[in-house]
Amino acid sequence: MPIAQDPLSVEVTLPRKDVVLLTVEGYLDVDTATELQAHLANQLHHGRRHFLLDLSRVPFMDSSGMNIILRVYQEVRDRPGSVHIIDPAPAVRRILDLTGVSITVPVSRTADDALALVDRQPGESPGADEERG
Amino acid sequence: MSTTEQPREPAAEPRPRPPAPAGVSPASPAGRLAATVERLRREVRTAQAEAEGRALIELAKGILVERLGCGPAQAARQLTELAEQAGVTPLEFAVEVINQAARDRVAEVTDAFLTAAAEPSGRDSAVRLRTAESGALAANDTQAVADSLLQHALQPLGAVAVAIWAAGADGSLTLAGSAGFSPAEAARWRYVPPEVATVARRGLTERTGQWFSSLAGTGLPTIGRHVHPDGGRVAVPAGTGGRIHGVLEIAWPKPLPPQPPRVVRQVEALAELCAHTLDTHPPHQAPGQEPRVLPDAAELMDLADGLHDPALVLVPHLDGSGQLVDFRIQHVNSRFLDPAGRPRAVINGALLLEAYPMSAGRSELFQQVERVYATGEPFRAHRMQLTALVDQVSLSAVADISISRHGNSVLLIWRIEDETARLASLLQHAQRLGRIGGFEENLLTGEITWNDELYHLYGRAPVPLEELPAHAHPDDAVTIGRFLRTLLHHRRPASAAFRLQRPDGVTRHIRVVAEPVLDTDGRPFVVRGAYQDISAQHWTEVALAATRDRLAHTEQQATERSRLALQLQRAIMPPAQAPLRVPGLEVAVRYRPAETEHLVGGDWYDAVVLPSGLVLLSVGDVAGHGIEAATSMVVLRNALRGLAVTGAGPGQLLSWLNIVAHHLTGAVTATAVCALYDPRRRTLRWARAGHLPPVTVRGREAAALPLIKGMLLGAAPEADYEEAEVQFAPGDTLLMYTDGLIERRGRPVEESLAHLLAAAGGAPRSLDQQLDLLLTYSRSDTDDDTCIVGIRVG
Repeated sequence: MPIAQDPLSVEVTLPRKDVVLLTVEGYLDVDTATELQAHLANQLHHGRRHFLLDLSRVPFMDSSGMNIILRVYQEVRDRPGSVHIIDPAPAVRRILDLTGVSITVPVSRTADDALALVDRQPGESPGADEERG
Repeated sequence: MSTTEQPREPAAEPRPRPPAPAGVSPASPAGRLAATVERLRREVRTAQAEAEGRALIELAKGILVERLGCGPAQAARQLTELAEQAGVTPLEFAVEVINQAARDRVAEVTDAFLTAAAEPSGRDSAVRLRTAESGALAANDTQAVADSLLQHALQPLGAVAVAIWAAGADGSLTLAGSAGFSPAEAARWRYVPPEVATVARRGLTERTGQWFSSLAGTGLPTIGRHVHPDGGRVAVPAGTGGRIHGVLEIAWPKPLPPQPPRVVRQVEALAELCAHTLDTHPPHQAPGQEPRVLPDAAELMDLADGLHDPALVLVPHLDGSGQLVDFRIQHVNSRFLDPAGRPRAVINGALLLEAYPMSAGRSELFQQVERVYATGEPFRAHRMQLTALVDQVSLSAVADISISRHGNSVLLIWRIEDETARLASLLQHAQRLGRIGGFEENLLTGEITWNDELYHLYGRAPVPLEELPAHAHPDDAVTIGRFLRTLLHHRRPASAAFRLQRPDGVTRHIRVVAEPVLDTDGRPFVVRGAYQDISAQHWTEVALAATRDRLAHTEQQATERSRLALQLQRAIMPPAQAPLRVPGLEVAVRYRPAETEHLVGGDWYDAVVLPSGLVLLSVGDVAGHGIEAATSMVVLRNALRGLAVTGAGPGQLLSWLNIVAHHLTGAVTATAVCALYDPRRRTLRWARAGHLPPVTVRGREAAALPLIKGMLLGAAPEADYEEAEVQFAPGDTLLMYTDGLIERRGRPVEESLAHLLAAAGGAPRSLDQQLDLLLTYSRSDTDDDTCIVGIRVG
């Protein structure tokens, strides 16, 4: 499928105040990665700590896509925060395993599963933001 | 007066007094001049009569010889008998015969004569016409004209000498006649070669009358200058019908004041008269000065040289008895190409039937030439079959033919429809001039064809394409690899420039262009192409580039960064590194930087023997491109080397390397495979950091090692790496590579990996060949760095 006819679409929702869910659709590669990066940078700027990336409708991802995920991972690690990948296609899952990213970045089946993981993170409770502020 | 010859006796025929031009008294100088012109015309005509009459009878005899197929003596008898039967003189009958035989140009030249003296019509007129035209008069007639001109027309004008120059086809001037100059001076000036500037030449080149009041003022040399250095001179072109036959030059002893228009016109009339004389009577050539070619043939040769089609100038070749037996090929023009491929010099001067024996055969070319020569009637034919004998093999060609007679020569023009021969020759010359060597290589049989130029370029026996890197400068291995890949794998035409290192030590800059010839299944079976020696262009480009660099400093800086990255890569990892010496182990490495300079990035490979005797093997890929990625690559590669000396296992080494990567400025990420090979036990311990797994090849089977756990470098502050061990057997091969080798846009990595396994398996090859093959046939479509490390267990 020609990539140019299939631009990346990114849908942003906020299930919690500091948790952002980005639903990505399309090929995530060197041509489209900057699009996702722009969304992530925007959310980082707004102080989100937990990033949920729904990749169920990403049929293909290359190293550019992965580098973006890693960059967010490095940015939020000290906040402290987390990155979660939701329901990757087999080809994407394979890349995550190949590069070992799945060792560090948890992969969940659904957004709810991912949210459950976020909630279980140490020091994390509803309203934690207010405490920090 | 002093002349070389006595003036001819006035002709005996009655001479009606010419009417004086209106307003001109017969006694005035101009009137005398007009009368002289008229008288001279008549004299010329009469003088020709006898000699020409003989010539006409000879000509008629010749026609009868040809028509009746009899001998000359019999023809003469026949002519006399026929004339008697017809009740006419033999001369008149001869003219009849000639007129019937030749429907040619005849009268135009002599029109001027006839209109001046309105002759009674009938046979007499026909005789006069032919008489004037025939051109067989004694050679010294122009001399007689010169004498008469001076005596009757020019002396009354105060002139003391006259010279009549005949213009040759080549622009030379021959003194056809003169009066008033000493015989010695005339002999000295008998010939003026082309392009020598004289007074007469000025008249010829300017094509209008040149009136010089004083010869000294012109600075031009000419006949009799020493006798009359300050005298007036006139040089008038002598022409008829738009064609200049010569120049009439007149000398005065003293400076000449401007002359009235009437005198100018009369002198021009005299010049025209001279033109008729010159035209009808070619200048006499002294024995020994005989030109090798007839003047009309010479002119025809010039004409042929101006044609864009192959043309031959033929002159008749007679046997001892005056019989036409063949035609001599007097000249072939520059477009001429012998259908049999013989050099032009061989054809030039040969007899037509000797050069082309087959022309007498079915093609009837010879017969046509013969007929055109005899009748003067031109011959034109489209798509005539021509046959040439080439080494006893007759070759046919279809040609458009044109044959025409010009004077005593025949012009034969052929345009060969099949231009293959011509194109082949053109190609040969182009290759020689461009220093291009052509080649063809059969991929199935390995058969290689080189042309002569290519042997010359290479200075050695043919080199198969796949062995090209071995004959090129090591730095060009990448370029050649890319070229072969486009050509053999992508099956597309490709070109590359590289430095050829000849066996004699000479380095040549070569451009190679080649294309695959596909069979019906779309598989290449022949590669053909050309090498061109561009050494000269190369050095020009170098000089040009130096200038450009100075001008575009800013741009240079930008590209310099990319180039620096590449240089860094090259410094660390030469494209073709000296092989590692490990007993029982063969090691080969390849590095191909990204084609686009700014995409050159952070791929690395390493193969080094550690103090422990283990061999450290690694490949890695720093994310990103350009100088930053290249610098990080250098850091990681060297760090790994240093860490390896501690004797730690590959998993531990990668853990440490992860820390190094994580704390590098800019927090780079990288993938890598690190392996330690034990040559004694033939075992390999390895670990990977987010990198593609190595591939092993045993026999014809290629397989990827398992995806053991290992996070890419630099992503997390701490990481653990799983280790695995592989046991090798002799002949086994291990391949480690970066994703530039397999990555295809939009394709799952499994698919790319499967292709690599298919390429790596197959027929056994040397390790070097195997790596070259992988680079050449890699299916990657991302312009990325590519590294390969291969080991083969001995």
